Amino acid sequence: MEILIDALLQGILMGLLFALVALGLNVIFGVMDIVNFAHGEFLMLGMYTAYFTSLLIGVDPLFALPVSALTGVLLGLASYYWFIKYLLRGPAIAQLFGTFGLMLFLRYLAQFLFGIDYRILQKGVLIGKSFSVGPFIFDATKLAAGVLSLIAFAVVYYFLNKTKVGKALQATSLNKEAASYMGIKTDKMNALAWAIGGGTVGVAGGLLINFYYVYPTVGLLFVMIAFACVALGGFGSIKGVFFAGLLVGILEMVFPVFGQLIGSDFLGPHFKFTIVYLAYFIIVVFRPQGLFGWKN
Amino acid sequence: MEKLKDALDFSDFSRAEQIGLIIFSIFLLVFPWLGSGSFVKAVMIQFLLFSLFGMGWNTIGGYGGQVELGKAQYVGIGAYTVALLMVWLNIPFWISMPIGVLIAVGYSFIIGYPLFRLKGHYFAIATICTSLVLQDIFTNWKLVGAAKGIELPIHEHPDFLYMQFKSDNYYYYFIMVLFYCTLFYMNWFRKSKLGYQLRMIKDDEEAAESLGIDIRWCKIKTYSIASAFVAVGGGFMAVYNLYIDPASVMDLDLSIKIALMAMLGGAGSLWGPIIGAAFLVPLDRFLGSWLGGHKGLIGVDFMIYAALIMVVSAYQPRGIWGIIEQFRGKGK
Amino acid sequence: MAFLEVKDVIKDFGGLVANSNVSFQIEEGEIIGLIGPNGAGKTTLFNCIVGYYSPESGKVLFKGSDITGHKPFQTNQAGIGRTFQIMKVTTGMTVVENVMVGAFCRTDSRHQAREEALEILRFLGMEGVGEHYINELPIAMQKKVGMARALATKPQLLMLDEVASGLNHTETDEMVVLLKRLNAEKKITLFLIEHIMEMVMAVSQKVIVLDGGIKIAEGLPQDIVKNENVIKAYLGEKYAKSH
Repeated sequence: MEILIDALLQGILMGLLFALVALGLNVIFGVMDIVNFAHGEFLMLGMYTAYFTSLLIGVDPLFALPVSALTGVLLGLASYYWFIKYLLRGPAIAQLFGTFGLMLFLRYLAQFLFGIDYRILQKGVLIGKSFSVGPFIFDATKLAAGVLSLIAFAVVYYFLNKTKVGKALQATSLNKEAASYMGIKTDKMNALAWAIGGGTVGVAGGLLINFYYVYPTVGLLFVMIAFACVALGGFGSIKGVFFAGLLVGILEMVFPVFGQLIGSDFLGPHFKFTIVYLAYFIIVVFRPQGLFGWKN
Repeated sequence: MEKLKDALDFSDFSRAEQIGLIIFSIFLLVFPWLGSGSFVKAVMIQFLLFSLFGMGWNTIGGYGGQVELGKAQYVGIGAYTVALLMVWLNIPFWISMPIGVLIAVGYSFIIGYPLFRLKGHYFAIATICTSLVLQDIFTNWKLVGAAKGIELPIHEHPDFLYMQFKSDNYYYYFIMVLFYCTLFYMNWFRKSKLGYQLRMIKDDEEAAESLGIDIRWCKIKTYSIASAFVAVGGGFMAVYNLYIDPASVMDLDLSIKIALMAMLGGAGSLWGPIIGAAFLVPLDRFLGSWLGGHKGLIGVDFMIYAALIMVVSAYQPRGIWGIIEQFRGKGK
Repeated sequence: MAFLEVKDVIKDFGGLVANSNVSFQIEEGEIIGLIGPNGAGKTTLFNCIVGYYSPESGKVLFKGSDITGHKPFQTNQAGIGRTFQIMKVTTGMTVVENVMVGAFCRTDSRHQAREEALEILRFLGMEGVGEHYINELPIAMQKKVGMARALATKPQLLMLDEVASGLNHTETDEMVVLLKRLNAEKKITLFLIEHIMEMVMAVSQKVIVLDGGIKIAEGLPQDIVKNENVIKAYLGEKYAKSH
């Protein structure tokens, strides 16, 4: 029983991080109806940036966060202005393949620049430490990741709902044309969406590198998780993706424990992501509006 | 009979295309006697194999208009069926291959039914999901060799029953025959009832429905056809490489390559996948072997493809064939 | 048993009731017109019959079978063809290929589909148009392509959505002749939504009038024009009263 609750709590922590990762994807989708396949690569580059910054400048990983956030923002803006903008003229199929191409390009760029080795941060204020709350033990890094993800998510949420620019962004995502008639320039909103998308996932990368290995192809796993979250939460729904992130995090942690409990050898931890892929498939086919509905 | 005539009838193509096809075919026929090394021969075999994969993908991705990124799961089904039946029950290729196709088609109907409720990127992601799930299952399933894969027992003498040969020339002609079978089938397909219906669906879905076309069912049928051809290619891979594992026959990278070649060459056209493969397979192989020597340049070959995809999607989504057609006005 | 029977069909769009208890019958071989002011619910009714919409309640029966809520491809296979008011100008397929798609509904052979397509084009006076693309043709021709396509599916009931819109007088007259030929020679029952009164009056044997989602009149064309409710619907109460 305890193991189950422990898994649940760990799942919530990871889920908060997943929610942050998926948030960026969702914002871009909401505003432009484009699925950014390269989202996982933005995460990966955020991770590398935090890694190298921390290593080379000798700064604590927590302070490398702004750097990875900035990298994410720049990546998002560069992608939009130098590439995505041109895709918009074409059919949806071309857009799909375009972001796919971007994904491959960034992935192999990373492989070329950094090699295929797995890297993880070893030194830092929080690394290796843990907190105990009652019978449960949490890694300090994961706890920080969860808490900071929650804060980052809240900041973006506040931005989108309470600031003028944020509301303009929401307006564009609800109805591009109407918003532009009211003076909200679609082009700027698109760029903003990419900046937010890149920035949030850059932060997520900076958090992740503290306890997860980075390697050039790590993006694929996380972008699939992000897709599952976005689908579960309802494409375009910010609140939805938050709860969906939590759900996926919990699922991912609880599933192998569940398998353990029922003594199944087959349902082991190696299938925990398989469950996520299946979840995406089932949700999208049988309940396309996700658990929480369309764009809110 | 009409079907066979249709398959062999290329008269609605331009003179230039017909002549090109003839020259190309002659080249393919005499290629093994041109005295090229084993590396080049292997590249040619890969080219024909990927053309086959690409043409299969093209039915649903090009003519069907639904880009899918999960073809590798069918390569895997074809490959594993042939390999396992041979290793467990010593069943010859000519029996195990059709079984593989049947399994592939059956599987495609089962997942196709829910899958085709989706469109666009939702659909594409879902195809990735199913492929990853299958790969995960195979990678962890000890019965089928898990991550280690399956090694096919080697037969000493040229064996037409099990399709095993020492000389690459046999494999070359085998894949060439498969290639032409696929090409003729595609030529028939685009002129068939289903081909017309798919074109109508692409052009004007509402009208298609009003003309008695069950859109979803059409797409599922097309998807199954695609999976059948791809499974055949997978079976070939099993007897050619004599070793298969989830990473080599079911991987997402393989799905991407297949879709990429077809799209780069021109999805929705008959020649597109072949052009795409002709371009990318040699590029992949030669670049790979050249760069392989320089350890610091791993990944550059993929960077080049990726850049290619990006450029093509931004400027000419209809691929190389689209560019050619632009120069000519209109085409098929 | 009526050929087409619409029984108490109600279609509402979350509060806006577009069709309210609409009922009528069509006999085989008839030519029926459906008229009414803008927003009367004609297109909604059309779509409920053909299958784009599923009515909230009521039934649609075709040749005795219940086709309520069936999808468009099913109603087409059952024998109902339809044209579109606005033809999507597409460049993917030539005219004859478009018509062949219709023919493929009833045959698997390309050869036969092509033969039938050419025959229909000839019937409609469109030989020579076959190899063109829809976007290259004038409006009257485009409409005929739409009809040819639908006719290729061998419908017993052909539903025409504002087939006269965009046509000039001569073209409208030609259309009337064509429709009568279709009805007489090909034995096709016709059901038209129309705004152009001269077309409706010239071709229909019976006219049904909708207003505000309700059927307000049904009868012979010459009686309908004199019907007080109909005049009121189109021209307002004052006019009706004073005439």
